[in-house]
Amino acid sequence: MNSFNEHVPGPIGLYNPADEHSSCGVGLVAALDGRPSREVVLRGIEALKAIWHRGAVDADGKTGDGAGILLEIPQEFFREHIKATGHEPSKGRIAVGMAFLPRVDLSAQETCRTIVETEILNFGYTIYGWRQVPVDVSVIGEKAEATRPEIEQIMIANSKGVDDETFERELYIIRRRIEAGVIASQVGDFYMCSLSSRSVIYKGLFLAEQLSIFYPDLLDDSYVSSYAIYHQRYSTNTFPQWWLAQPFRMLAHNGEINTIRGNVNWMKSHQIRMASIAFGDNSEDIKPVVPKGASDSAALDAVFEVMVRSGRDAPMVKTMLVPEAWSNKTSMPQAHRDMYAYTNSVMEPWDGPAALAATDGRWIIAGLDRNGLRPMRYTVTNDGFLIVGSESGMVVVDEEDVREKGALGPGQMVALDLHEGRFYHGNEIKDKLSAAQPFGEWVTDLSSIEELPDYKGEELASYKGDDLRRRQIAAGLSHEDLELILQPQVMTAKEAIGSMGDDTPLAVLSAQYRNLSHYFRQNFSQVTNPPIDSLREHRVMSLKTRFGNFANVLDEGHTQAGALVLDSPVLSNREWQALVKHFDDAAEVIDCTFEVSGGASALRDALNRIRREAEDAVREGRGHLFLTDQNISSERAPVPMILATGGLHTHLIENGLRTFTSLNVRSAECLDPHYFAVLIGAGATTVNAYLAQDAIADRQAKGLFGDFNFTECIVRACEAIDQGLLKILSKMGISVISSYRGGNNFEALGLSRALVAEFFPGMPTKISGIGLAGIQQKVLEQHGKAFFDGTCSLPIGGLYRYRRGSEVHAHDGQLIHLLQSAVGSDNYAKYLTYSRGLHNLPPVNLRDLLDFRRAEEGVPLEGVESITQLRKRFITPGMSLGALSKEAHETLAIAMNRIGAKSVSGEGGEDKSRYTPYENGDNANSPIKQVASGRFGVTAEYLNACEELEIKVAQGAKPGEGGQLPGFKVTDMIAKLRHSTPGVTLISPPPHHDIYSIEDLAQLIYDLKQINPRAKVCVKLVSSAGIGTIAAGVAKAHADVILISGHNGGTGASPQTSIKYAGTPWEIGLAEVNQVLTLNGLRHRVTLRTDGGIRTGRDVVIAAMLGAEEFGVGTASLVAMGCIMVRQCHSNTCPVGICTQDEALRKKFDGSAEKVVNLFSFIAEETREILAELGVKRLEDIIGRTELLHQVSRGADHLDDLDLNPLLVQVGGRGQKHICTMEERNPVPDTLDAQMIDDAQAVFSKGEKMQLTYSVQNTLRAIGTRFSSEITRTFGMTGLKPDHVTVRLRGAAGQSLGAFAVQGLKLEVAGDANDYVGKGLSGGTIVVRPSNRASFNSQDNTIIGNTVLYGATSGKLFAAGKAGERFAVRNSGATVVVEGCGANGCEYMTGGTAVILGGVGDNFGAGMTGGMAFIYDADGSFEEHVNNESVLVSRLDSAYWEEALLKHIEEHVAETHSRWGMTIMLNWEAKRSQFWQVVPKEMINRLEHPISDKAENIPLSA
Amino acid sequence: MAEKLLKFVSVEQQMPVKRAAQKRLDDFNEVYAEFDHEGAAEQASRCSQCGVPFCHIHCPLGNNIPDWLRLTAEGRLEDAYEMATSTNNMPEICGRICPQDRLCEGNCVIEKDFNSVTIGSVEKYIADTAWDKGWVKPITPLVEQEQSVGIIGAGPAGLAAAEELRKAGFQVHIYDRHDRAGGLLVYGIPGFKLEKDVVGRRTGRLEQSGITFHLDFEIGRDASLADLREKHDAILVATGVYRARGLKVPGVGLSNIHEALDYLIASNKKSFGDSVPEFENGNLDAEGKDIVVIGGGDTAMDCVRTAVRQGAKSVKCVYRRDRDNMPGSVREVQNAEEEGVEFVWLSGPEAFVGDDKVEAVRAYKMRLGAPDSTGRQAPEPVPGSTYTMGCDLAILALGFEPEDLPALFGAPELRVTRWGTVTVDHQSMMSNLKGVFAAGDIVRGASLVVWAIRDGRDAAESIKKFLKEQKAVAA
Repeated sequence: MNSFNEHVPGPIGLYNPADEHSSCGVGLVAALDGRPSREVVLRGIEALKAIWHRGAVDADGKTGDGAGILLEIPQEFFREHIKATGHEPSKGRIAVGMAFLPRVDLSAQETCRTIVETEILNFGYTIYGWRQVPVDVSVIGEKAEATRPEIEQIMIANSKGVDDETFERELYIIRRRIEAGVIASQVGDFYMCSLSSRSVIYKGLFLAEQLSIFYPDLLDDSYVSSYAIYHQRYSTNTFPQWWLAQPFRMLAHNGEINTIRGNVNWMKSHQIRMASIAFGDNSEDIKPVVPKGASDSAALDAVFEVMVRSGRDAPMVKTMLVPEAWSNKTSMPQAHRDMYAYTNSVMEPWDGPAALAATDGRWIIAGLDRNGLRPMRYTVTNDGFLIVGSESGMVVVDEEDVREKGALGPGQMVALDLHEGRFYHGNEIKDKLSAAQPFGEWVTDLSSIEELPDYKGEELASYKGDDLRRRQIAAGLSHEDLELILQPQVMTAKEAIGSMGDDTPLAVLSAQYRNLSHYFRQNFSQVTNPPIDSLREHRVMSLKTRFGNFANVLDEGHTQAGALVLDSPVLSNREWQALVKHFDDAAEVIDCTFEVSGGASALRDALNRIRREAEDAVREGRGHLFLTDQNISSERAPVPMILATGGLHTHLIENGLRTFTSLNVRSAECLDPHYFAVLIGAGATTVNAYLAQDAIADRQAKGLFGDFNFTECIVRACEAIDQGLLKILSKMGISVISSYRGGNNFEALGLSRALVAEFFPGMPTKISGIGLAGIQQKVLEQHGKAFFDGTCSLPIGGLYRYRRGSEVHAHDGQLIHLLQSAVGSDNYAKYLTYSRGLHNLPPVNLRDLLDFRRAEEGVPLEGVESITQLRKRFITPGMSLGALSKEAHETLAIAMNRIGAKSVSGEGGEDKSRYTPYENGDNANSPIKQVASGRFGVTAEYLNACEELEIKVAQGAKPGEGGQLPGFKVTDMIAKLRHSTPGVTLISPPPHHDIYSIEDLAQLIYDLKQINPRAKVCVKLVSSAGIGTIAAGVAKAHADVILISGHNGGTGASPQTSIKYAGTPWEIGLAEVNQVLTLNGLRHRVTLRTDGGIRTGRDVVIAAMLGAEEFGVGTASLVAMGCIMVRQCHSNTCPVGICTQDEALRKKFDGSAEKVVNLFSFIAEETREILAELGVKRLEDIIGRTELLHQVSRGADHLDDLDLNPLLVQVGGRGQKHICTMEERNPVPDTLDAQMIDDAQAVFSKGEKMQLTYSVQNTLRAIGTRFSSEITRTFGMTGLKPDHVTVRLRGAAGQSLGAFAVQGLKLEVAGDANDYVGKGLSGGTIVVRPSNRASFNSQDNTIIGNTVLYGATSGKLFAAGKAGERFAVRNSGATVVVEGCGANGCEYMTGGTAVILGGVGDNFGAGMTGGMAFIYDADGSFEEHVNNESVLVSRLDSAYWEEALLKHIEEHVAETHSRWGMTIMLNWEAKRSQFWQVVPKEMINRLEHPISDKAENIPLSA
Repeated sequence: MAEKLLKFVSVEQQMPVKRAAQKRLDDFNEVYAEFDHEGAAEQASRCSQCGVPFCHIHCPLGNNIPDWLRLTAEGRLEDAYEMATSTNNMPEICGRICPQDRLCEGNCVIEKDFNSVTIGSVEKYIADTAWDKGWVKPITPLVEQEQSVGIIGAGPAGLAAAEELRKAGFQVHIYDRHDRAGGLLVYGIPGFKLEKDVVGRRTGRLEQSGITFHLDFEIGRDASLADLREKHDAILVATGVYRARGLKVPGVGLSNIHEALDYLIASNKKSFGDSVPEFENGNLDAEGKDIVVIGGGDTAMDCVRTAVRQGAKSVKCVYRRDRDNMPGSVREVQNAEEEGVEFVWLSGPEAFVGDDKVEAVRAYKMRLGAPDSTGRQAPEPVPGSTYTMGCDLAILALGFEPEDLPALFGAPELRVTRWGTVTVDHQSMMSNLKGVFAAGDIVRGASLVVWAIRDGRDAAESIKKFLKEQKAVAA
């Protein structure tokens, strides 16, 4: 089907087309009465013209990423056409197939036509003929033109006279047969956009606004439709692919399906039964349901389509595929719960940011994913239209005509039945669906494990004493594992924490035994999709694990009485035993050990045996497999359970057996959440870490767990693993374990390609590595240590902290001293000894296997560019003031400024006093200011005090996770900078709440380029598979610098498994980014920077050759200041005063700017010496020159292969430059502010007051931002009095209205506004109200979008209407009044006041640690929605606070003329008792006024 | 984390109680009391649990110090002992006599201002507790090997090697020329640093573990090296270095000038209750005399502190460099000063004065010259600064050199270096004679006990490997 692939480079170097992402804007227009009209088509076209900014343009400046529209087939239009060709159309609907055919190869074109016609005729339908679709090629770009297909329509008669449903189903089968036929005939460039009697799709590679020019059909007045679904694409790549434009056959999708790998895998198993039930004899024709190479959206569409064609209607299919989060929602009606319980047991949810617009021909739906991560606004008009879209205002509607304005919430859907002409709101459609079937009967009596007879009693331990010890040694466990990893799991019920990154060798380079999980790197979200917040938003997540699903997705009616449901896939020993006994005859226990003396293929033989035994068992009806490696002895060694699980899961999937069985795994090695995740990712249903449990038993008996009894210890350990699993799922944006299971959502680092293909298909493995033979050898070596060494003592460990004789650590004790001595005494010779010492360590990093191809003749050292020149390329990466002490933080900045290099501020703001040089001339102002997810201290002033702004999307130590600054580190100074309260813990959320998708990042970059019109923008990413395409998307979003961080860096505290197992080395990521940007012709637009363990000139030169222009040196610069790698940064006890806020300890800091300068001078000098040897005068001349590198070692003998060639591939022509050639930053288009600044000259030149008035549209974004920058630069952030300049706007304002607006600016909108209103608000005032002519009630309608006031630090917002999701997230000082809000309101708020005069969505106030909120709760539902983990909810009980609240409402009414606000005030005595006051627990005793006038009502302390 | 460690920010350094100086002079018992349980746990809890533990790195044995500190802080002493003994054959001895201020404690990263963790005292506490509680058991090898090893020298290197070899099941014989096993541990180091039963219980345990001691057995007298090689499958030479380094100044031949080791052995033997004629006739007894000890190392410290306990009238320690540049442990100097020893820094002996027996020491003042390339400043005499101090007994503690082993052993084929140390292959620790290994001071020159233990352990590893290969060849 994807026959355009020949234009796309296949996998080349590190680039793989499968990594691509796309995102976009989406929407629909429909007639409420279902009657086709011209109006609908015109409005659809109009809407597409208003979302251009959500798409992207190729490097050629003209080729869009694609746009399209899905319309009803205008029967008359085609009837006329048929008549014109001399035929008389028969009765019944005409079906139309919209086809992309090969354009240049005419014989191929003919072949395609033949196949199409043959298949149609074979099904007994007749053909009216082909129609060449008129096109205007003047509007498309070079690349699009070069790949433009021949576009034709084939018209088909329903000559069999079947009903519409049958006709549609058969047309589906015909299309699938055509696709198969074309593939079989090996013709490329063929794609059937649509083949239907109901709908047709016009799409292609142009910009959205050019759709109707390219396809003149759409301008024909007779072209009518009752609906239009439209889509504008923003893709991370720019390889032209016409077919990937959306909409697909049934839907258009904005977002990304995070669970795609698992979903597609499970679909392979589902489709076997499903196809035979629904398509009978034609079942083979529709397989595979998801064609190879389909994107996530295309795959979702394919499954959506097949479900519809199997008889489900669109609303039900959406409910099955993309359900709402339900299991933790107590407020949901039982009927809805039953329905979701049913859908959950037939299908794994397709999870991820998703705004969907879809149709099955009769139903039109628009829906959101469970997290509500994409915006979807809708308007119902008085003249009978439903308008839905990513933004409000895409179709201009006079407010007079508005009947209703709304926004979809998480998991919600609106639906329109075109036949009945009936519109359904979210709950109405759920009521209808859940009443249609007796779901309650089908899912009753699910039993839980506690009910099993064998569950009762205490926990169990199996092995003790020397036996236990020996098994631990065989499993590669160490003293360190037990003390550092296992002990905290029990004591804290959380995963262990560590600091200062990872400096041990990659597993594939290590000489030690490393269990297989070490070769798996966790996937994580960055840019194209957001991680989920597993701590604050766990309500949407679930680990529920079912035994005995419905056998296939179409199964209805079979009751599931007695099916077992577990809360978690993590099993204790007792649970394992209870399950084995419970399933009894249905259980098959399979031994996973192999004979030590079994010869070279012993392991492979065992794996084959396991598959055979399992398959036999399943075919004989034993539906529960229990795999265990317990049976080891001196003669038998364990099969790594990851291999056993992956091999078996893959085998069962391929044979269509996986859905008939559960796969339960017992593993001795399994200890930390990562190992559990790998097993589940490889396909395990449940996992039991029996040996870890036995170790806990042993330690509990020794009294190491205080007063916890053994059973309590196990409960806590399992809780720690559960939390760890949730975190691992969440960091790649997956909410539900069933969608994660079997998805192999990892990247292999050092596993042989052949091994991965067999056991973990689909998982990327870029450099190959250890295979079965090597694994067998390592397992046997370790087994020998347990059974043949006389001593039986547990090895000490050394993976986390250095121990002699164990794992190598790049930060070697002697070398640390040597470096410190070198920089302290300005001794370059000593530095060289250090550098050489590092180089002589056994290999730790991939680059240690590389060396330079030296030139025959060098150049004299004097001829090489100077130290001063080279040093400008150095960066000290973002380390926050908060993690670092003030002294250390300033020292770095001063040092870097002295040498013209750059320091990054890190998250958390910087004191204003540093913005100007000190008296002695030292400049402590960081030239790069970081914008991280917490947005701490990110004000207009901060953003203007720099040369570059860095958006930290992910950080090396823990990509996909948030950060935390514990309360004891929040001193007065830190609290002031972060606009928070001293002593109160500060949390950074995992995602940036304004970057859920690539077009969101483009918007943030746009905002930042407005607030600082000079600064370049850098995007910090962490190396991982697919980072190249992400970087391409980032480049297209107008970033100027892309930073590729390696996995190993990082100060601060992180979970140990995140430090060890997330992210990849920068060598791989950097090479991939350089290759993909070059392939896309984007390389010259961005500067590439890298960091993560760069310590020497050699590292710098290798990084340059792999494509980097600038280099971050983090840890080494800390070492230069005195860091001795105590690795206790999370404890505030840094003995050298670097990473602590403790007064006494900070006095011990004896770093100096000179030492840091010396370090960078040494690295530069060493770089010069290498350049001289290479015969090169300037560093610039080696950037991207991988041909100067070669692999000098292929790693240890036991590896299959260790192939670094993919890093060294040159994708461009030889001699092509790999440097950024942009002199200035990449420009972004102007917004209204250009006009405003022009019109407001009197403000800036004379300081006059002014009032400006404009009409606006959603395409005008970030209004007031650039203006605020001008104010800040002219008058300072607080230089003007409030409301000095008033700007009146009429219409729908674009995204980021008033972002970073400062004091003195007031924006008043009559109409509505989109997402991110008041983002980072820095003192300005924003008012949004309906126009005077609007007749609707403001409090019932949505007026502002999602993520309003994110990171606001001061200022005011009044909005007469409801706000969307994530209202006032991380607000730290603004005052706001709205009339309702969506889910996750006031999350992470640390300051300011929020008054909400209406209902709130779920999870209100999660993680709120400062500020205050007042909520008017008319229907008494607030308590169900609030997350009271960190807040206290009470009624108004203090005259002081009541007065304050009233003042806010008064001001709201004065500003917005809200009738609703007025109503509340007029009826205050009645209404006041319906208000809630929400105060963070930590703040109760810190408030200036108590929350109650009665002392006894105040809780003592949080 | 409910962390029991990292308490250095709130808990001060505290050594175990030291007995009052006056009390100490009354006997030869140890100076330091034992930690009590809480004290040990609290002091151990000061450990920062470093990612790069410099204490561990700078310990010749690579003791897993942070680990057993953690275990101690958590009250898990049996685990702590198991951990400590896995890298060290005699932790209670190292805990007492290691110069921790130059090794582990000297490199402790909290040392910068917080004063290091009291690693040595905790180590001693752990191991002493293990002895008290009966956790220290004789070795019972899993399998008995037929091959045997002869070890020459029952000092720390020999004992450590013997234990490791015995664990692997080999038949071990130790030969020593003294009448007690322990080498310098028993005769070189005075009881106030290391009480003799501490050594005795270690050697006793080895005997109970099936190791055969041949005492009063001198190679070259009672058997030749060749005889031993004939008898055993491998030999380990671990004799130590015993020849005193001399001093070439006028009057050095006068009587009542003794070598440090003779003086210390006599004293130690007396402590055992042995009859020592040279002591009893007053030659080696400091009582009532003016004592001058020449030298600034640990042996000199042992001599001066022995002398004050014997009731000397005065005790002076004469050393060429100053306090900061002396090789001996700072802690020992402090102890000695408390006990009434007078240190005469920056002084060198010019001559011993007297007719037939020494009456005084003539010395000149020294100053420290320009630093050399390693940064060490060489002392040089200050012209015209001569002065004299009275002296009834002078003790020379200027270091030790190897004896002439080839001659002593009747084994001229054994290759030695020009300094007299045995030449070995540093990978295998085997000498030029097949199956003859060497370890400890006799290879590296006079050094610390802890290095001797390390060498003994390394040699044992090599010997095991060698014996395994030999067995394979034979089979």
